Amino acid sequence: MRRHKRHSHGVTSIDFYACQSRLRRWNGCYKVCSVAVILTVCLVLDNPWASVLVILTMGLINLRGNGVSLCIYLGLLKIPIAFLMLGSLAVAFGISSYPVGSMSISLHWFYLYITRETLIKALQLFLRAMGAVSVLYLLALSTPASELAAVLRSMHMPKLLTELMHMIYRFIFILMDVQQDMKTAAVSRLGDADFKTSCTTFGQIGGNLLILSLKKANTYYDAMVSRGYEGDFPIWEEQKSVKVWQIILLGLYIGVLLAVAVISK
Amino acid sequence: MTKRQKKLLIGSIVFAAAFGIAPNVNAMHIMEGYLPLGFCIAWGIVSIPFLVKGFFSIQKKLEQERKNITILAMSGAFIFVISSLKIPSVTGSCSHMTGTALGAILFGPSAVSILGMIVLIFQAVLLAHGGLTTLGANTFSMAIAGPFLAYGIYRLCKKCNINQRIGVFFAAAIGDLFTYSITSLQLAFAYPSEAGVWVSAAKFLSVFAPTQLPLAVIEGFLTVVVMITLENYAQPELKSAGYLENEKR
Repeated sequence: MRRHKRHSHGVTSIDFYACQSRLRRWNGCYKVCSVAVILTVCLVLDNPWASVLVILTMGLINLRGNGVSLCIYLGLLKIPIAFLMLGSLAVAFGISSYPVGSMSISLHWFYLYITRETLIKALQLFLRAMGAVSVLYLLALSTPASELAAVLRSMHMPKLLTELMHMIYRFIFILMDVQQDMKTAAVSRLGDADFKTSCTTFGQIGGNLLILSLKKANTYYDAMVSRGYEGDFPIWEEQKSVKVWQIILLGLYIGVLLAVAVISK
Repeated sequence: MTKRQKKLLIGSIVFAAAFGIAPNVNAMHIMEGYLPLGFCIAWGIVSIPFLVKGFFSIQKKLEQERKNITILAMSGAFIFVISSLKIPSVTGSCSHMTGTALGAILFGPSAVSILGMIVLIFQAVLLAHGGLTTLGANTFSMAIAGPFLAYGIYRLCKKCNINQRIGVFFAAAIGDLFTYSITSLQLAFAYPSEAGVWVSAAKFLSVFAPTQLPLAVIEGFLTVVVMITLENYAQPELKSAGYLENEKR
């Protein structure tokens, strides 16, 4: 049960922090744009020192501004680490038919080797990706997905897509609740007794979830029509203005990143 | 350290890394920041034609029947939830389905490309699986390549009069494997080794293989169980999702 709880907390926890974040009052468009700029700079510079700076500053903003506790933030950072470890491993190791590099392992048909360059490349990649992930968390922990959809709408993404995004966002939480109840019901009836039973349980929950979701879809459509839905799904948005000092702050930050990259070269 | 000790040490590190960390791998999303900028843009451009086709197919569906909007949205949410569920496994590890094959069989591959892209955005901002700069690459592997192949295999098995359940199994398992191969290829293109892209692809394939191969088989089985449940209890709902219309064609 504990494991089960910890898992479900994934979707709701990031959303929860996004809704209570202090940065929520900042303009959504500003947040998306600055995240895009910082991400691009981080990728283009590809500089380990700049990446470390991004990891630290973004960590600080996430802890202070977004009000996430250190423990939870580290837990969140753990998610991408699995992929990054494996990915960096593949970059660090080279394959060749003869032994090269500072360390090589013979695997009968070929040699696995590590050289200084590949190791540095892997480390650099790891840091860059961690930096980018921290920036992603800055957006995820300060901007609820509905606000993100509104920003995309103001950037002239087709209305159909943003409407779908708004609805999917709402429906995700409804389906999560339903799935949680089904899971609890199944587990309390020994639905996870062994591997085979849990596979059947998973499949049946999946099937029933689809049936229920389609039934709910009909109900929601009726509800929407009875409230005057005619192919338009307007969403009320808070008006938040961008302050001049916020733009200056972003400019300064980018300047510092560029300076760090230039100096360390 | 003698050479043999070195080998043992490295071997044990690789083993520990592969089996200690691997249980937490979430499907095959390329993480934020992992691809260089040029590749992020290139994969985004490659995905655009498929997304445009998907967009028009969705638009057409809505013109036929306005009611489809909530059904489409629910389908998207369903794909999200299915792909965020922890699937049962023997070792107590934590892995997820891609859910793309199921979506393709139920809703058709072109609708899944758009829904898949939206789901990928939500996975990035709600679950931190994948990322915004790698959205194009992830969309191509998980929302386009996987579903289209899975759907193709499913139709092919149907045409050859192979048992439907076996068809569903192969569609899901091979679709999952294909997603994983494409992801490895994408990584290899971005980080080719000195010996070339294909050697690099082999490297990425083998690093992710220990988790992805069993996952593909499990995904196949689970998809079959879901389909059996649906066929038993939900004929009308399947019709509204477009599944049975596809059958008649």
